[in-house]
Parts: sequence; structure tokens; C-alpha cells
Amino acid sequence: MTSPTDATAHVAPATHQARERRHATRGARATRARIAATVGAFGALAFLTCLLAPLVGSTHISLVRAFDRSIPFADNVDAQIFFVARLPRVLAGALVGAGLASAGVVFQALLRNPLADPFTLGVSGGASVGAMLAITFGLSMAVGPVSPVPLATLAGAGAAALLVYRLATAAGRAMSTSVLLLAGVTLNAFFSAVIMLLQYVSSFTEVYRAMRWLMGDLDIGGFAPVIAALPLMAIAFVLFALLPSALNQLSVGSDAAASRGVDVARVQRLAFVSASLATSGSVSLAGPIGFVGIVVPHLVRLIVGVDHRVVLPASALFGAAFLVGCDLVARTLFSPVEIPLGIVTAMIGGPFFLWLLVRRG
Amino acid sequence: MASLYGSAHLQSPSPAPARAPQRIVSLVPALTETLFAIGAGPQVVGVSSYDQFPPEVKKLPQVGALLDPDTERILALRPDLVITYGSQLNAEAQFARAGIRTYSYRHGGIATVLESLRDLAMLTGHRADGERVARDLQARFDAVRARVRGRRRPRTMVVFEHDPGTLRSMFVSGGIGFLHDMLDIAGGEDVFGDVKRESVQPSMETLISRAPEVIVEIRGNLPSNIDAERRAWLALTTVPAVKNGRVHFLAGEYLVVPGPRVAQGVEAFARTLHPDAYR
Amino acid sequence: MPLSAQHVSYSYTSRRGTASFALRDVSLAIERGTLTGLLGPNGCGKTTLLRLLAGILRPHAGTVTLDGRALSDLSRRAVARRIAVVPQETHPAFDYTAIEMVLMGRHPHLGVFELEGPRDFDIAHEAMVSTGTDHLGDRAYMTLSGGEKQRVIIASALAQQPAVLLLDEPTASLDLGYQVEIASLLRQLNRERSVTMVMATHDLNLAASICDTLVLMRDGRIQSYGATSDVLDSDAVRRLYGVDADVRFHDDAGHLVVVPVGPAPSAVEGRTR
Repeated sequence: MTSPTDATAHVAPATHQARERRHATRGARATRARIAATVGAFGALAFLTCLLAPLVGSTHISLVRAFDRSIPFADNVDAQIFFVARLPRVLAGALVGAGLASAGVVFQALLRNPLADPFTLGVSGGASVGAMLAITFGLSMAVGPVSPVPLATLAGAGAAALLVYRLATAAGRAMSTSVLLLAGVTLNAFFSAVIMLLQYVSSFTEVYRAMRWLMGDLDIGGFAPVIAALPLMAIAFVLFALLPSALNQLSVGSDAAASRGVDVARVQRLAFVSASLATSGSVSLAGPIGFVGIVVPHLVRLIVGVDHRVVLPASALFGAAFLVGCDLVARTLFSPVEIPLGIVTAMIGGPFFLWLLVRRG
Repeated sequence: MASLYGSAHLQSPSPAPARAPQRIVSLVPALTETLFAIGAGPQVVGVSSYDQFPPEVKKLPQVGALLDPDTERILALRPDLVITYGSQLNAEAQFARAGIRTYSYRHGGIATVLESLRDLAMLTGHRADGERVARDLQARFDAVRARVRGRRRPRTMVVFEHDPGTLRSMFVSGGIGFLHDMLDIAGGEDVFGDVKRESVQPSMETLISRAPEVIVEIRGNLPSNIDAERRAWLALTTVPAVKNGRVHFLAGEYLVVPGPRVAQGVEAFARTLHPDAYR
Repeated sequence: MPLSAQHVSYSYTSRRGTASFALRDVSLAIERGTLTGLLGPNGCGKTTLLRLLAGILRPHAGTVTLDGRALSDLSRRAVARRIAVVPQETHPAFDYTAIEMVLMGRHPHLGVFELEGPRDFDIAHEAMVSTGTDHLGDRAYMTLSGGEKQRVIIASALAQQPAVLLLDEPTASLDLGYQVEIASLLRQLNRERSVTMVMATHDLNLAASICDTLVLMRDGRIQSYGATSDVLDSDAVRRLYGVDADVRFHDDAGHLVVVPVGPAPSAVEGRTR
């Protein structure tokens, strides 16, 4: 059945049409090329950052020695610093940076609000309560090879996400974003109160540990925590890959998206679940590191525009580079004293963002 | 008007009375222990929620601690001296308004412990006892020093907190404070002696590069799964302490409370660092 | 006939669990090439009917059919390829350009991972030409005037290449100048390019000026339905709004106009349910 818009009288001269067509074609090539080039550029940045970061640190090491197979690993200090202290930290930083930045993009689209971040909906509040409970109430035994703190963090994050989800959905119908937002903000306030209460009843060292955790920390000292977080993060990233086009539609309006064939309820569920998974995994690995989830998406948008098909992958990659960079600063600036990572992300992210905005006028 | 925000540790709205205080409330466990050690135990009528030693304190009413001093409860005990933390300015102001003397605790090294001991001895009318206890402690320190004299001082790290089963969120003693002093007397060289802070949070990289020869983990209570804790250290095999099996776990309140039992702690450290000196 | 509703009903359940019917037993058939107006006071159900016709809502009774097939039998994308919606207001959360907004209309024609190709760009461009917005391509949507914004949204709906265009109060939030602009664009699209349209509006004169067919609604039911000249008269206005009005053909305008005369209605008269 022909569309009414095809029934157009071609009144324009042939040359005009041809010029328009060439313009249109150039645009089409630009989209594919643009995505590839942009993602490629950010990917290169992320890769280079991860490659160079383990080479730098508060201690001077000899790379030659570190990679010298003839020295047994148990005796090779340079190798231990590189492979136990630095490399896992860099990989964790890349994973968490990518996770938080992507989650930020997705939550901003879901809530139709550029000021949302991964922690708006209470996931980090729940995670923090989980961590504090593990720290305060002893749980002084490790569960197998895993410390109880990351597990409790994950449980807390999951519980918070589930609660918010239940509050904001009725089976089958689309999510009410305003209820989502309100539920998240309320839960965050509640969790903050619980955290204060827990700190009140904790011993000195427990309070220090808790406060330290709240400031973020990537110093995992081994690959096990990264490997443990990987399944969750992998699922999140796979789900992320399905979202960008739908997020574009959703961010214009629910009804508009529905009228263009988007299954709004399903996309909202997917967005919520994937972003919550990425946030939970990140927080259980490194604590609640702020600013990444809101600054990186904004920075990326200022550079590449707002099409989520570019913004989402670019943010993931830039987030990885950004957090690895921040951690580098955290561990070298005032060495041997380390600045908590959350402080560095705030100190770097904030002014950089302001500068970019002012420059753009 | 007496300045309540000055550094003087004796807050008094009136000149020192002739009679020593008979109803003392202590919010600071280290100073509670001190009071009992110098013979002022009978004068104590209230202790903090964290007090455990000596056993007599368990029968006394608990009145809160650093974050939650129960000023109502304290006032109900009709004290004539309250021992507070230096940061509890509001509570001190309240007591001052009620005409009650306060003594403010200062956190510091072993020298501060002895100083506080002598201060409290004078304040509570046990000057002679206090002097005796102080000299006893000093003698014990000297005895330990003598035992370990001439021996090589191993590079040591004192760890007092970290996440169970991993090495994350680690807190170790820095170059100042009573743990550092204890280590010093016991014949150890503090691996973080150059960092002029009471507590340091070393990264894995710092741990590996500082390469302590002995690691002493101290806690109020023994961790429930020591094997898991030992396994956690195995991530850093190049650290001499780990390689040579010199990661020690010491447990006991006397290790973490900077009071008169510090001498016991020093002896424990010395036995751990120089076992052959104690055969 | 492309789009029709047969005995559809829809109810909203309030918080207390009481059901209130937004639509009761409504039937209509949209003829190809017509510009139909859904007219009535607030709460009459016209917006609900529009959303049912768009497939955004599923009726609780009755069916909506498109080319003889029930909407519920078609996938969302299939529906979107045939029916496009222009909402009353569009507030994108991010700073899309006009061309990006228009290209979003191509979504139902693209696969999950498919990117817009040359043909999509051609169609989008064509849609912008037909709405007079092709010079706005790289401008940020949010910086456009009210009239320009609405024309861009209409272009994005046209980019869907729908059989039917549904519009919800297309001029309600616009100044008079832009109202006239959009009205004449809609008429042009309908008359010159044969775009079938259904428009929900409370603006009697807008409906009178461009709609050839009117559906007058009140309290979830259709009061009357037919050619504008047949259906729109003083009685109809009184029944619908409780207002005395003069409905006459205006020679200069070239269509019926509705002019309220006499005193304002009392609170009770004509508004009881």
C-alpha cells in the first residue's frame, strides 16, 4: 500500500533533487562512519590509558625485571607490584568506570532527566547499608575466598533496586518515572539515616572502615574481585547493547516512543535492570564512586551530540579511561599517601565539566 | 571565665578543692583503667559503654562514650569529676555549667599515657600510688629494652584493622602514637616510621615496596577464621614477612587501649619480634 | 477503510478501585484521505479514543482495526509503520537537532541494530520539505519557535510513512499565528498530499476550518458523526458545551465559524453528567 507521502509532485528541478540526494547520502555515510570513528577514538583512549596506567605508580619499578620469566614470581618484587598491585587495580577501574558511566547514560534516558546518575534510585544507598552492616556487625569471617563486604554490598544494592522497581511498576504496564524518582530519592534519604545510625553504634575502627569504603577504593590486590564482578557486568553490557535506539525514542516521550513501535514497558524494564546490575557490580567492587555516572555522559554529549547510539558506547569507554586516570592521580599525587578515589573524581570531574560548559558558552 | 576551648587539659571553674573527687565518671576506657591502676577505683561511679577492664567496671553503670555521652545519666550520678574526650566540647560545657570538673583526654604516645597517669594521680589524691605505677611501667619498658638491646631491629608493620579475608581497607600504625612507641621499645623498626601520622592506609603497592620483615596484626578479639586471614597475606609473596612466615596475630584489649596495660603490650610485641630473647 | 473502531470501550480504574468509563461503545470508520476531527469538552474521551486508534492503549471491549486486521494482531512495529501520532507537546529530554527528531520517525522501519540509510535520509528530507522545515535540519529542536517545533514533529510523523496521522490537540499550546500556520499546513498535507488525518481538539473553529468530517463526543460517547457541514450547528454546540452559539458560514474564511453569543452558562446547566 503506497504511503500518502509518496504521492508527491516532483516539482523541483532535477539538479536541486540531485544535490539534496547527495547531501542525504553523505549524511547516511556520516552516521555509520561517525559511530565507528567516535567509538574507535574513545576505545583507543581507553586502551592507551589502561596500557600506560600500570606503568606508573608511587614506586619505581623496572619493567624488564617485572616481565623477566627467569625470576620466580614469588620473589619478583617488580612483577608483584605490576601484576598484583597495579594491573588488577587498572582493570577494576576500567570495568567500574565503564559500568558507572553507562549506567548514568541509561538512567538519564529512563528518567528523562540529564541530572540523574546511577545513585539517584537508591542502589548505592542500599549497597552502602549492606557494606556497613557487614562492617559493623562483625561478620568477621570470610565466606570462602570472598570477603563479606562485597557480598553484603551486592545484596543491599539488589534489595534496593527490587524495592524501587516494585514501587514503580504494575505488572505489564509501563513504569511511572515520577514514582521511580520519588521512590529512589526517598530510599536514599532513608538509607542515609540508617548509615548514620550504624555509624553511631559502631566502634572507632568500624567507623573508619565504613567511611573509607564510602569514599571509594580500587585497591583490590588481585584479580579475584574483578572476576567475581565480571558475570554481572557482562550481562549488564550485553543488555546495554540492545538499548541505544530505544533510549533515543524513550527520551522524547513514552507515548511518542510507543507510537513508533517501541515496547515501552519492556525497554524500561531492560534499562532499569541493566543499569542497576552495572551499578551494583561497580559499587560492590569499589564502593560508591560519585561523579563518574553524571559527568562522563555529559562530557561525552558535549563532544559527540546526544544520539544514544554514540553516547552509550562512547561513555562506557570514556568512563573507563576517566576512572583509571582518576585512580592514577589518587595513588601518585601525594605518594605514599593515597587520596580516596571518590574525592579525586569529584575534584577533577566538577571543574572540568564547568570549564567545558563555559567554553561552549 | 575559664576558656573551654583552650588546650589546657584541666577544666575547672573554680580553684582546685581541698578534697579529692569521690564520684568520678569516666568516658574514656584507657583512663578508667588508669584510675583503677592508681588505686582510685573505689572513687569511680560510672564508666563508658566500651569499658571492660578491670572486671570491677562491669558492675558499674555505663554512660555512653565518644559519640553518645548520656549527659543526663552522668548528671544523675552526681559526679564531681568527669573524664571526657577532648572533642566533647558540648558535654564539657554542660558539666562546667553544672559546676562539675572535667578532665580532657589527649590521645598520644606512651609519654602521654604516663603524663595522664600522673595527672590523674594528682587529681584524685593518689599521687604516691600514681608515681609508683608510673615507675613500675617505666621499669618494665626498660627491662624490655635491655632484653632486646644489641639485637637487630626487624622492619615491622603493626596492623590494627582490615576487611576480613582480604587486605583491603587496611589500617596500620604510623610513625607517632602509642603503637609506634610500643614497637620502638620492643626492638622493632617501624616500616612506616617516616609517616608522621597515627594511622596509615597503605596500598598494596606500598605494602610490597616497603617490604616489612615482620607483620603484627593486633585486634581486641581474635578473628574467627585465622586461616583465611593468613591466606589473604599470601597474595603478597615477595613481602619478607609473608615469605618467612612472620605474620603474627595478637589478640587482647590490652593491645589496643593506651592505658597502664601498655607494658603488657610492649612485652607481647617483644616476644613476637625477638622470641629468642625470651627463651 | 484504513482505520476503524468497533464498539470500543475503555475504563480507567481510580485508586480506590472504582472504574470510570472514559469511552463507552464507540464506533467509527475513518475514510481514506479525510481529515476527521474528534471534538468535545475536556474529559469527553477524545484523547483516549485517539490513543486507542493509535494502539497505545488496548480497548477493554471492542476492537480497533486497520485495513481489516485488528491492531492487537499486529506487532507494535507493524502498527507504527501505518499509524503515526503527533502529540500535543513534545519535550525531549536531550538536545536533539531537528533532523535527528525527524529521523526518529524512521524507527519502525529499521531493524534493531540497523542504522538509517540513504533512503531513510531521503524520506526524512522529503518530510521536512513538505512541512517547510528543511532549512532547520541542524538547528537544535529546543531552540525552535512553537510553530517550527510542531512542524518538525509533524515531519517526524510523516517520516514514518503512515497511512493515518493522528494528532492530539495540535495547536492547543501555540500562539494564534502558529495556530494558523499549523492549521494551514495540515490542510495542505491533507488536500495536496492526501494524508489521512484524525485530530482530537477542543478548538471548534480549528475543527470547522479544516476538518471535512467531525465526531462530536461527550461523556465517552459519540453524540453525532458525519460531514462537518451536516453535524456542526448551534444545537450540537449547545448539547456539547451548554453554550449558545451562532454557527454560520464565513465567506472570507471559507468555512463554518462558531461564535458564542448570549450570557455565559451557569455552573449547573449543560454540565451535569
